[in-house]
Amino acid sequence: MKEVPVKIEYNHEWIVTKLGITEDRISIPAPFNTEILFKTISDIAEKKNVLIITVKTDKETVYRILSVEKVLQILKKLIFASCNAYRLIAYFMSPAIRGGVMIKDAQWEKGNIVVVSSGIWFTSATKQICVPVNDVAAIELTKRDVQGKPTDVIKIDHLESGGVSSSFVLCPLSTLQVLFNFLRDTTKGMDMKGTELDSIDQQVAMLVYSGMDSHAIENMLNISQKQLDAIYDKILKLGLGEVVTMRREIQLTTKGVRFISDATKSQTQ
Amino acid sequence: MGKILIVDDTLFMRTLLKNILFSGGHTIAGEAGDGEEGIAKYKELKPDLVTMDIVMPKLNGIESLKAIKEFDPAAKVVMCTAVGQEQMVKLAIKSGAKGYIIKPFQAPKVLEEVKNVLAS
Repeated sequence: MKEVPVKIEYNHEWIVTKLGITEDRISIPAPFNTEILFKTISDIAEKKNVLIITVKTDKETVYRILSVEKVLQILKKLIFASCNAYRLIAYFMSPAIRGGVMIKDAQWEKGNIVVVSSGIWFTSATKQICVPVNDVAAIELTKRDVQGKPTDVIKIDHLESGGVSSSFVLCPLSTLQVLFNFLRDTTKGMDMKGTELDSIDQQVAMLVYSGMDSHAIENMLNISQKQLDAIYDKILKLGLGEVVTMRREIQLTTKGVRFISDATKSQTQ
Repeated sequence: MGKILIVDDTLFMRTLLKNILFSGGHTIAGEAGDGEEGIAKYKELKPDLVTMDIVMPKLNGIESLKAIKEFDPAAKVVMCTAVGQEQMVKLAIKSGAKGYIIKPFQAPKVLEEVKNVLAS
């Protein structure tokens, strides 16, 4: 049995310990005194250098494991190979497009796609990339030129550092549709039914995405602040946007005008 | 920083690009609403770079690109198109485009691509 140094969260504290790893399980010493079979792991997520694994037996238990990247990579590799997830061998390119621009050195990689409840993982000998389900913006079956031939692929648009990136998955056509349906079910929370914006609202949404601030949008579209606020409300209500900065524009009341008039007078006296 | 000609058939996209490029310190040499006008403006203004939409009335972006490259083989043209027209983008690259941006785009990415092409 191999042992790797980690910290595990226990009662809101991080405990320094060593995990025992074999081909099919992880052993966690006291105070846990437990063994986790990889096949009982139903979800795996990662936040910085913390691995969050969900184990489903007769009850559901979440473990947070903190360690260096190398150790987490080994753990993830073993978990991906045996965990309770939808997985298949596929070629992937992730990310292929970032912020609307093709990534110049993006290449197809042979590996696995592992779909768990919280995310879609692309894994190969050198990469372990996760697209969290909550960050998926769109999934579509499309065609892409592969070795000079238009080939069916799945395109996944996802948020990455505030921008939209796209990843591609390529596998035999027979499994591509199954994978597409599975991904669509996994990400059904992003259903766009009932999401309707008129032309000007769409332009505002596009300008927000492009990085324009309220002032620039008002100028570009020649609309008032009041009109823009109403469109923002619509975008927020539909869940298409979120408030990052509260903007407050005011005008002075009579009392305010009197105040600055007095202030100016006192400065000149 | 460069002198840039924007060729796009939608006023909205031209305005958006103009704002992004201007915020990046570039000068807008001019703008054109279709391919024919784009070619004429290129000959007249001799910009450092052209952003060229692909789907346009009269003369599409690919044909316009070819005409500009015929007039000036050193012309720097960045194609600007919607997602899903990547085959067209590849054709454009074969025809001499130096780069491409895919709509919807974000300002930093557009400026990065323009900077790269201007430096090439």
